[in-house]
Amino acid sequence: MIKKRWGFALVTAVVASLALSGCSPSTPQSEGPVTLNYWDFLDPSQANPRSKALKENVANFEAANPDIKINLSVVSLGDMLNRLPQAAAAGQAPDVFKMYTPVVPQMASAGVYSPLPDAASKVTDWLRPTNALAGPDGKQVAVPYEYRTCALYYNQKILSQIGATVPTTYDGVVDVARKAAAAGFTGFGTGFSDSDNSAIIGTFFDCFMTQVDQEMWNKDGQADFATSKGEEFGNFLTKLRDAKALGSNVVSDTYGTVADGMASGTVAMAIMGTERAVSYASQNPDLKWTALPKASTGDTTGTTIGWTLGIGNGSKHTEAAWKFIEYMTGPEAAARMATGGEVPTRAATYQQPYFSSPEAKTVNDIAAYVKSNSKPRTYSSNWTSLARGLSQAGQKVILNGSSGSDFIHSAQDAANKK
Amino acid sequence: MSTKSPTRTSRHTLISPSGTQASRRAGRDRKVWLYVVPVSAVFLFVFVGPLIYTAWTALHETSYYQIGKFSGLNSFVRLFSDSDLPSRIWTTLVFSLGALVIALPAGLLSAIVLNNLHRFKRSVRSLFLLPWLMSQATAGTIWLWFLNPNYGPASAITRSLGFGPTDVFSSPTSALVAVTLMTSWWSYPQAMLLFLGALQTVPGELYESLKVDGGGIRHAFVNITLPHLRNTIVSVVIVLLMLYVQMVTIILVTTRGGPLGSTETLSMRVYNQMFDKFDLSGASATAILLFAVNIVLTLVAIRFRRKESL
Repeated sequence: MIKKRWGFALVTAVVASLALSGCSPSTPQSEGPVTLNYWDFLDPSQANPRSKALKENVANFEAANPDIKINLSVVSLGDMLNRLPQAAAAGQAPDVFKMYTPVVPQMASAGVYSPLPDAASKVTDWLRPTNALAGPDGKQVAVPYEYRTCALYYNQKILSQIGATVPTTYDGVVDVARKAAAAGFTGFGTGFSDSDNSAIIGTFFDCFMTQVDQEMWNKDGQADFATSKGEEFGNFLTKLRDAKALGSNVVSDTYGTVADGMASGTVAMAIMGTERAVSYASQNPDLKWTALPKASTGDTTGTTIGWTLGIGNGSKHTEAAWKFIEYMTGPEAAARMATGGEVPTRAATYQQPYFSSPEAKTVNDIAAYVKSNSKPRTYSSNWTSLARGLSQAGQKVILNGSSGSDFIHSAQDAANKK
Repeated sequence: MSTKSPTRTSRHTLISPSGTQASRRAGRDRKVWLYVVPVSAVFLFVFVGPLIYTAWTALHETSYYQIGKFSGLNSFVRLFSDSDLPSRIWTTLVFSLGALVIALPAGLLSAIVLNNLHRFKRSVRSLFLLPWLMSQATAGTIWLWFLNPNYGPASAITRSLGFGPTDVFSSPTSALVAVTLMTSWWSYPQAMLLFLGALQTVPGELYESLKVDGGGIRHAFVNITLPHLRNTIVSVVIVLLMLYVQMVTIILVTTRGGPLGSTETLSMRVYNQMFDKFDLSGASATAILLFAVNIVLTLVAIRFRRKESL
């Protein structure tokens, strides 16, 4: 009797499921209301212009797409680098996330990205080629969200006080930094801490290698920059050390502490990303920026870096995710982000009325500078090891008195160490 | 023919009083499993399982968090041929023993003070417990702010005294000393609580007798307090050493193991290998080494305990 009942139930279930599957449409269903998990390092609750612009962009996107909600999580770059590979391995990667350009191939190797949908290929007005934003299989995994490069920042008041002009070569930087240090300032601001993924030294090194036309990896993806050109960077650091022009806390300084020092007027010069230009202008009117000093090649062209947007591996809403990415990199949203100093990545954005207004002067200047003074680089999948190696090699320059040659070899060895 | 056989009758009479006891005992024995099974299940799930998985991972090639093909003892060979390993072991020893040397007497002294306090006992106890009530991340962040060379209160103090700013995290030795001091500051209340509990079991009459015999504070400490605390001291040493050997958070928040790896203990190395270098098999091999260190410590503790009980 019991067996009969079970048999009847099973047959009913099979018939019901077949009937239901027969009723279902053969074409794929629309996604319906979806919630996209989005990771960004900007906190939209903050009062600064970039955070405000992000908040407005998310709200406007949701208003234009009532079926898509954005669940924004504020995650720092360091946390993203740790958490994304874990989340992807567990099938819990965010639908959309922001990523620093040099780390995109590494995150792609870690299986963090979904390939971009075909619709992505329809956007063709990127100001820089996007082929470097690819995974190990060569498929594009991210699109540029914001461009930046390196610039020389200097405190005009300090330079006037010591009777110096803005240096145009790296040797000139050392001379001016020496004088500023003798006057009680930090002559040149940089930092060898690896607590923030070696942001300041990594960014500077990246730009410097482009200036001296030095590739950073060989065909096998191994770090390969310990050449005479690469050594020039180490020599610049050792000259600054010998001139006592580096900060007393350079070993533990980070991008943030150097930026604070620039803003508070205790640091005479620093090489940092162009994104600082807008905030420095409002924080300290004595802070100015100019092109990178000439390297031995006479070149002042740095690397185009910045932030990208990509879709997380395992996302069930790739269409909605791309819709969001397309909106965030599109003219309307990018123009709003530009009010906070971010340089848009698509040509169409510059047709927006904002860019013809006087308020856009700084952003237009930065955009023109990025265009004329930087070029993109193809990265390998070991950026974090390289950046940490640079920090540790810098620490050795200060603590062990190592040479420029030691610096570059030590950084290369660290990058290649398994 | 009677249905009640003599044998059955005698068995029945035998079972009645003592058989009931036996069945009760069997019932109790069965109930024991109610306690043993969940504990064993949890133990297997949270300890044995991860341990086997860690060993399994150490024996395989890994790429980020994907486990690849079997690689034998390669990750252990890499671990033991790493020229940095001896210095990491040395750092672990200096850090753990250094923190212990500070936290143990500090905990004992605080416990003695508290035990002899008659007024404001609760307030003083709360004050002493304060560091331990913070998470390690909070404690590390507070110290990081306090010692910041640019805006930290410590720098303001040293500058006002005519010295330069505090710059403890920029040199290998001072960074190691700093994280050791921070860790002992955070952990000494744990020792204090254990000592306080033990001190409250020391009979007060012993101190009174000693006083009558003309003994002073030093005699009381050496002849009464210390002998009564001997077992507790061994326990505290083991508990704290294990805590220090496995400590990550305070180091992570303050130095991340730098500068130049001077504060990278074995635990910190596991973290860095796992989350910075994404070297899962290497991190697993180091974790197994760390586990072996902990086993040695436990065995030493058991050995001491046995000696004490003789």
